[in-house]
Amino acid sequence: MSERNGLRYGLLGLALLVLLAILALVANRPDVPVNQAESLPAKPAKLESLAELNGQAPTHRNLKIQSWQTAEGAKVLFVEAPQLPMFDLRLTFAAGSSQDGEVQGLAMLTNAMLNEGVPGKDVGAIAAGFESLGAEFGNGAYRDMAVASLRSLTAPEQREPALRLFSEVIGQPTFPEDALARIKNQMLAGFEYQKQSPGKLASLELFERLYGNHPYAHSSDGTATSIPQIGREQLQAFHAKAYAAGNVVIALVGDLSRSEAEALVAQVSGALPKGPALAKIAQPQEPEAGAHHIDFPSNQTHLLIAQLGIDRRDPDYAALYLGNQIFGGGGFGTRLMEEVREKRGLTYGVYSGFSAMQARGPFMINLQTRAELSEGTLQLVKDLLRDYLASGPTQEELDNAKREMAGSFPLSTASNAAIVGQLGSMGFYDLPLDYLEVFMQQVQALTAEQVKTAMAKHLDPEALVIVSAGPSVEQQELPPPTDTPAEQPAGVPEH
Amino acid sequence: MTMLAQRAAALVFAALFPLLGFAAEPQPTHEFSLDNGLKVIVREDHRAPVVVSQLWYKVGSSYETPGQTGLSHALEHLMFKGSRKLGPGEASRILRELGAEENAFTSDDYTAYYQVLARDRLGVALELEADRLASLTLPADEFAREIEVIKEERRLRTDDKPSSQAFERFKAMAYPASGYHTPTIGWMADLQRMTVEELRAWYQAWYAPNNATLVIVGDVSASEVKALAKRYFGAIPKRDVPPAKIPRELAAPGERRITLYLKTQLPSLLMGFNVPGLATAENPRQVHALRLIGTLLDGGYSARLPTRLERGEELVSGASAWYSAYVRGDSLFVLSATPNTQMGKTLEQAEAGLWRELEALKNAPPSADELARVRAQVIADLVYERDSITSQATTIGQLETVGLSWKLIDQELAELEAVTPDDIQQAARTFFNRDRLSVAHVLPEESRDE
Repeated sequence: MSERNGLRYGLLGLALLVLLAILALVANRPDVPVNQAESLPAKPAKLESLAELNGQAPTHRNLKIQSWQTAEGAKVLFVEAPQLPMFDLRLTFAAGSSQDGEVQGLAMLTNAMLNEGVPGKDVGAIAAGFESLGAEFGNGAYRDMAVASLRSLTAPEQREPALRLFSEVIGQPTFPEDALARIKNQMLAGFEYQKQSPGKLASLELFERLYGNHPYAHSSDGTATSIPQIGREQLQAFHAKAYAAGNVVIALVGDLSRSEAEALVAQVSGALPKGPALAKIAQPQEPEAGAHHIDFPSNQTHLLIAQLGIDRRDPDYAALYLGNQIFGGGGFGTRLMEEVREKRGLTYGVYSGFSAMQARGPFMINLQTRAELSEGTLQLVKDLLRDYLASGPTQEELDNAKREMAGSFPLSTASNAAIVGQLGSMGFYDLPLDYLEVFMQQVQALTAEQVKTAMAKHLDPEALVIVSAGPSVEQQELPPPTDTPAEQPAGVPEH
Repeated sequence: MTMLAQRAAALVFAALFPLLGFAAEPQPTHEFSLDNGLKVIVREDHRAPVVVSQLWYKVGSSYETPGQTGLSHALEHLMFKGSRKLGPGEASRILRELGAEENAFTSDDYTAYYQVLARDRLGVALELEADRLASLTLPADEFAREIEVIKEERRLRTDDKPSSQAFERFKAMAYPASGYHTPTIGWMADLQRMTVEELRAWYQAWYAPNNATLVIVGDVSASEVKALAKRYFGAIPKRDVPPAKIPRELAAPGERRITLYLKTQLPSLLMGFNVPGLATAENPRQVHALRLIGTLLDGGYSARLPTRLERGEELVSGASAWYSAYVRGDSLFVLSATPNTQMGKTLEQAEAGLWRELEALKNAPPSADELARVRAQVIADLVYERDSITSQATTIGQLETVGLSWKLIDQELAELEAVTPDDIQQAARTFFNRDRLSVAHVLPEESRDE
């Protein structure tokens, strides 16, 4: 949904659909797994089922990834999935906002305008075309990449017209003036909407401080001053170079034979402008460390704590991934979640992560807490990071995290949607076809010392860039932590 | 939290169009009950060696009474804080180490817990789930800390989010007679005075095997699930649960309006009509007609609201319509809009625009073309939904928990195709009138003084 209607819901954040749907239906805990005490004593398993597990890594779906280049130079990754009569096609262009140049928001606006007009069809006709086939067109633009995707049934009566229309949309967008004016207005409304979100304001500020003059510094959305000035001919020029067949990775998963897939991909590739891959962007400079506060009349204070991290091809990727997984990746059970939420009740959620990108992406910790406890909480998180960098993970933490990653591996390729996402990412970052297996092997081979060394090499607790957004209120002391009891409490109610 | 949003979207989506074995081999689905009343539904999906397990309880915020709002959701949090075989957080730690995804969600009509994991670990998920159904600890010190987390959750998701805050107040007004006016997370005043004793009583009242449905979808067989379910849940005794009254609303409570001044930059509008759900409708055809109206208005970028109001008149920056038929009681047909302030449009004009679209539905039946487009989307979505074991399980669990049958899935296409253009016009005439209407105008705080 977020992808399909990237502009309508993602950018504009048209609250009164998505947010309300969430509120109406689901009020739950943060995503993901839970809880991890510092020391998990090797006490006898009280769970019969756990004792019965043989301790082996589970099996996973065997992906036969096929890869080739189209005549026009597009890289293709394909997995045959005959179980359901559908396919997912995902085109990933190196056409994100890091290619904006001086025109902030150009990449996003070009991407958002793809399905607003093609020769002989306006936006309504395009939408009706896809929807009358039950096909789903999706698009989105980020810092590194811009995506256009199609999901359709594979029967020829749906597949063929859906592909013809998709090829027109990616290859011959007309960027009509009236649609451009409307989309710009919607983006301006989106900028107004952002002003009510302290988390969003903090994030914008953080990227500017982390990246300075680098193309990652500005939001992919552009700004309220940059967007109105973008003209149709700029979109056409950006499309001609950035949506070229040499600048795309085509991922395909579905109920298609190799020859059907080749024909399909040839049609898509042939519809794109001809041209080479764009030059890769440069690495950013180290930012100036320091803290910045945005005064905002909310109940909570949002905290973002960051540094430059790594690019996607960094040899330390596996070590940092595993190291972060223990510190604050993925939710419950991490050191951050345990100390900040479980022992002190200070937050609903606290997470850390490396965004490994084409150039060095950020390492970031984010959380929200009561305004009057924000300074104490920030200090706590900084101390936790410093301790972790100094001492690294325990052997037990390391073993548990490895088991976790081996166990979750089958989930990462369980659906067509998951597989097409993996293929797109592998293709875009030039990873080998056996990457998923290799990555898992690398992770399983890591030692605690290697993880500690890698984390300490890439992160410096004295060089943090910090942005907070919230009200200025008198600060209070943090409540004392409580430790999870080692023994089971007695007096369990019986039924 | 992206995943959350996606999952909520999937839920909404599932509510619109549950799946059906259409255009693909149907997936074998099995249903049985244990002697203690636990209902089990198993759907086989052998594409990958993974499985999802969901345990759905028939209790949620619509069961709660004034002064005790938020109990179901708070209990959901405390379900992670230990049971006979497990210390606080231990179940989650075990699952994490097994590489499982796990979570829980609470709504008006249900509380559900789920795990997605490699197929060989299903027994662990079931043993953990059975243990906290049978013997939750509910320690007072864990409650004291967790209620603070819940308050943070409320601040994050409602109090600091004007759109959520607006919807909470709107909902409280739009459901005058039923428990659906209660916000699932609870009013802050009730969170402040909630006690662990109340949670213990809530748990004792509702968490019984005969008040739950276990849904398993994935690379499993019915016989292996049956053996595991018996082994772990079989010994938990059946217990009487309080009678659960279906939430009924007044058919025509009268027009209600509120104006809210919130910390927002953009004005917005909510409109809701009191309508039946599938469980309360005298004529189910009316309900399916309302579902189709939702799709005609907002089922894609070529639907009426985006075509006419967003792009045509440029009256709104965005508008939406939704209706959930799969609820325990009566429902609400909701429309929302953000006026296009760049073009100088006001809330009043946006409201008038939405009314024009409703009047158009009353005045003329939809065209064959429009209905064919909706049908194509339904057919395709039935296939697409099968790509996700989680959305399959969620659809099944939701239907069962609101008192309908998962077998409705198989009737989906037929039910929708039975709706005539005239049915749609009649439903619009029956339900879209001011006696059933609630309206909220949401305005920036600064505009209060003008």
